[in-house]
Amino acid sequence: MGKHSFLKVVVLGLFIATAVAFSSAQAINSGAQPIALNATLGESLTVNLSAAAVNFTLTAGSAANPGSTTITATTAWVLKPGRTAMTVDAYFASAAAALTDGAGNNIPSSAFFISDNGGASAALVNTVAFGGANAGLRLANVAIGGGNRAGSRTDLMAYNINLTGGTLPNLPAGTYTGTLNIQAQATP
Amino acid sequence: MFEKNKIRTFLSCAALVVLAVAGCSAQVINSAARPISLNATLQEAVTVTLSANAVNFTLTRGSANNPGSTAITATTQWTLRPRIGFVSVYAFFSTSAAALTDGAGNNIPSSAFSISNNGGAFQPLTNTVPFGGANAGLMLSRWLILGFNRTGTHNDVMDFNINLTGSPNLPPGTYTGTLTIQAQAI
Repeated sequence: MGKHSFLKVVVLGLFIATAVAFSSAQAINSGAQPIALNATLGESLTVNLSAAAVNFTLTAGSAANPGSTTITATTAWVLKPGRTAMTVDAYFASAAAALTDGAGNNIPSSAFFISDNGGASAALVNTVAFGGANAGLRLANVAIGGGNRAGSRTDLMAYNINLTGGTLPNLPAGTYTGTLNIQAQATP
Repeated sequence: MFEKNKIRTFLSCAALVVLAVAGCSAQVINSAARPISLNATLQEAVTVTLSANAVNFTLTRGSANNPGSTAITATTQWTLRPRIGFVSVYAFFSTSAAALTDGAGNNIPSSAFSISNNGGAFQPLTNTVPFGGANAGLMLSRWLILGFNRTGTHNDVMDFNINLTGSPNLPPGTYTGTLTIQAQAI
C-alpha cells in the first residue's frame, strides 16, 4: 500500500468515526419533574404608641382637665388587594365608666375628649368597630387602593376630661382609673 | 452327540459376532446445528426522581431571607451507551418574569428565587438552560460520562429561598408557581 493510499484510508476512517460520533450525540432528556411552590405574604396592620400612660389632675366641675402628655399612635399596614378601607379607633369598654374609682363613682366616656392631630376635641360617644356602645371615637378612616396598600399614618392625640356635665361636678375626690384603647381595622 | 455340541459352539460364536457388530454400529448421530439469533437492546435512559414535590414559603415583606419549608433531593439515574459526554441536571421556570404569581398581576421573578445545591451558595435562576424560559434556569450539576460511569446515580439536595428585596412593595397574598427539575445526557 502506497503512502497516498494509506492517507486515504486514514481520512476515510476519520470520516466514519466523526459520523458515528455525531449520530450518537443525540440528547437524551429525563422526564420533567415538577415542584409546586406556594408562597404566602401575610397582611399586617399594627398600631404603636409613643407612650402608654396619661395622668390627669382633675379640678371639680372644670371643663378643662388636660392630660399630662400627648400620645402619638403610629399605624402601619400592608394589605392585600380587595381591602378598601382602614380605620383607627379610640374606645373604652364601657360608655358609662370610662374611668372609675372602684366605689361606684365613674367618669363616662362622654366626658373624655380627644383632639386628634390638632383638630377639635371630640368626646368618645360613638359606637365604633371595637369597645362598648357609644364609647368610642373614630380617629381616622383611610380609603385603601392600589397606591396605598402599604402605608402608615400617625395620630397625635391630646386628651381632656370635662367634669361639667350631669352629676360630674359633684364627683367625689379620689383616684379614677381607666383604659383607653387604640385599635385599627382594615375592611372588608 | 458330537455333532450336536459342534452346532452349539457354532451358534454361540455366531451370536458373539452379531453382538460385536451391533456394538460397533451404536455411534451418536447429531443433527445439523440450527442457530437462533438473539438480540437484546438495553435502551438508554436518564431519569430524575424527587424526594418531595411541594415547598411552602412564609414570606416577610422586603426580606432577603424567605427559606422554603423543606429541602428536596433530586436523584438522577442514567444508563447510557458507550460514549463520551455529559449528564446535566437543570432547575427552571417556564418564564423568568413570573416564577410565582398571585394571579392578579403581581409576580415574583425567577431572579428572586434561589437554590443552594448540595450545600453550596444560593444562586438565582437567571440563566438560559436547555429547558424552560429564557433567563429562568439554573444548572444544578454536570458530570462527565466515561467508560467507567455509563450507569450511575447522582443526588442534588436543593434548599430554596425567595429574596424580596427587589420587590419590596409586593402586596400580601398567596403566590404559586412550578419549579421543574430535568436532566439531559448529551
